Amino acid sequence: MSDDDWPTPMPRPGDDDENQSADTSVFAVFAPPDDPPPDDTTAAESPDETAVVPSGDEDDCEAELALSVRSARQAVPALGSPPASSVGSPVRGLAVPGGADRVVEPRRRIGPLSWFGAALLGVWLVAMPLTSSVTELRQNTQIIVMVLAVLGVNIATGYGGMISLGHGVFVAVGAFAAAYAVDDMALPWIVSILAGAAFAGVIGALVGLPALRIKGIHLALVTLGLAIVFQPLAKRVPAFSGGVSGRAVGAEMVPPSWFGTSRWAEGFYRYLICLAIVGLAIWLTRNIINSRPGRAMRAVRDNDTAAAVYGVNLVASRVSTFAASASLAGLAGALSIVLVPFTSQESFPFQESLVLYATAVLGGLGSIWGSVLGVAIREVFSRLGEFVGEVSGLGPISEFLSLLDEEQFVFGVLLVALTFVFPRGLIGLFNRRRDTPADSAAQNRTQP
Amino acid sequence: MDVVLLLQRIFDALFNSAIYSSLALALVIIFRSTGLLNFAQGEMATFSAYIAFVLLAGAAPGVKGGGLASWIGAPLVTPVAIGLAVIIGIGAGAATERVLIRPLRNAPELALVNVTIGILLALNSLMGQWWGTGPRVFPPFFPSSPGDHIDIAGARMRYSTIGAWLVLLALLLLLALLLRYTRAGLAFRAVSIDPVSAALNGIRVGPTLMYGWALAAGLGAIAANMSANSVLLEPTMMVRVLVYAFAAATLGGLDSPKGALVGGVVVGLSQTLIPAYVPFIGFELSVLPALVAMVVVLIVRPAGLFGTQRIERV
Repeated sequence: MSDDDWPTPMPRPGDDDENQSADTSVFAVFAPPDDPPPDDTTAAESPDETAVVPSGDEDDCEAELALSVRSARQAVPALGSPPASSVGSPVRGLAVPGGADRVVEPRRRIGPLSWFGAALLGVWLVAMPLTSSVTELRQNTQIIVMVLAVLGVNIATGYGGMISLGHGVFVAVGAFAAAYAVDDMALPWIVSILAGAAFAGVIGALVGLPALRIKGIHLALVTLGLAIVFQPLAKRVPAFSGGVSGRAVGAEMVPPSWFGTSRWAEGFYRYLICLAIVGLAIWLTRNIINSRPGRAMRAVRDNDTAAAVYGVNLVASRVSTFAASASLAGLAGALSIVLVPFTSQESFPFQESLVLYATAVLGGLGSIWGSVLGVAIREVFSRLGEFVGEVSGLGPISEFLSLLDEEQFVFGVLLVALTFVFPRGLIGLFNRRRDTPADSAAQNRTQP
Repeated sequence: MDVVLLLQRIFDALFNSAIYSSLALALVIIFRSTGLLNFAQGEMATFSAYIAFVLLAGAAPGVKGGGLASWIGAPLVTPVAIGLAVIIGIGAGAATERVLIRPLRNAPELALVNVTIGILLALNSLMGQWWGTGPRVFPPFFPSSPGDHIDIAGARMRYSTIGAWLVLLALLLLLALLLRYTRAGLAFRAVSIDPVSAALNGIRVGPTLMYGWALAAGLGAIAANMSANSVLLEPTMMVRVLVYAFAAATLGGLDSPKGALVGGVVVGLSQTLIPAYVPFIGFELSVLPALVAMVVVLIVRPAGLFGTQRIERV
């Protein structure tokens, strides 16, 4: 960074229009220089190219990128042209004349690094339960479940553009609700788990309501407040949360008798159930994101005014996005009580919500695999921290190393460092996506 | 309703009001100039209070950095230690702006949220690691033995409350003088109003913003050092205070210093009076009304009481 500060203006509301080009170029510090700005203006002007994405352009992995509304400046001219330009627009009424209401998805080229990552994940998923003890298996299953909570943050923040610093609250609510359903209402496990997710979704929708008016940094503030107020609030409703001492879950999920009765078989059964639910949830999320509601979601994120002009129902989109993201977090909470039959507000201080947020950012916002990667990295760091934290006898160096065992510290530092080094998260190393909030913000800055 | 009790509660609340007003003022200074809510403001302030604590505790066992105090020499008296801690806090605030915020001047909002949240997490954890998560005894800033109060209509106004308000008003006066009668203050006002025009007039925007961050960090540090005695020094000491301060700043208008002052008083009063008269809320949940008030203000009147209405151009 050079010292001559005066020619670079601070972002202020209202000066977007004048400074747009300058901003984008300065922003190059923030984005890899080899990434040309997406070509969506031409896409909007020549509908023929949009309908069938040339296969030679595989590096532009996201075709729908061209379809999400980027900014008012680009959207408004598009409105002037015939509706043909709105292929795959989030609005049902504006389909292409050919009747193709579907978006033609380009084949995505998967790089060798991604193949390697996927293979590693696959091997781990098979080998881990076979080689783990009962306790390790349970801990590792908890890690898998945590992917959903991080994905929840990602949906709200990465895809929906609503910064959520309070997702730990929804994890907790999901756990409490599932515990209530399975114990106090004596519902079967699978119903209870879904009930936990659904209840968290309802709470999420309620929290999402203010998000209709409150945007950006102010929403971050409100959700942070929610995370801070949650603990005392949960203590006030002991019938639901177990109050100060927490809530033990009486019911146990036991496998059918043919599955085996050993403790390991029990753990393995729960692992399979959790893995299946997590896999199903990720698949569902992916489909939603790649379909109409998902496109609407990203259009609202990138420019809500333009999205509304296109006919996106802002209220429905924002509220349902927040509800979906909260119910993913709630699902994680509900599954956690399958694994550990105890839940308490004690486990959800506001720092936990912030670490969840940091994990989502770390992996990469606006990418499902980013959330998986984030959780994996979190686990690697935690193991590494345990390892180096025990090194002693090196004086100040050992002291520094013991700090690395503090997850919260590590994530705080990583969050700051990453903002400078990998603004689109570590998933940016795997693919050159152009549809993360960092990218859209580069083109279209929204102001508080 | 017991009038004396009500008066007593109001007097007690006024101490908190002064603390919230100072921190809210710090938030407003940064928001006005940078358009950024500094989520780490509370932790930065707490850190400064811990430095004062270390300087006072000296090389006691279990106190990280006690060597610093013994290197300085003789045991420090409270005002000197706190003064030093505030100066260090100011330096740290300026350094934060220079190193972490300025390079991101054209980055999206999300990046700035990430940086401040990262600082919050890291500092919070660092303080817990170095000085323990449990509360520490911190010497009082003002005389606060049981007899140190004056009686007004049967209720007690404690010296610490009066002192906190005197400090706050002195700071406000100082701030007003700085902003009105110094070149740096003039530059700061210009940058707050329009950074582009300010830059075109030859004002160095970066250093000016650093000046604002230093001022804000100083205000926060003073607030933390004043309140560390009554709320007990611990790493999460300022977390709840930060919510109150944000509520105060939002209520008054995030870009209005006058609003911060008024908002601080209102939030401080409501924090004491609402739990007293609404049994469900109680002391622990007293942060809930503040949060609700913040949400309502943001929805109904985002500019707050005294803030500037923002116009969004598409």
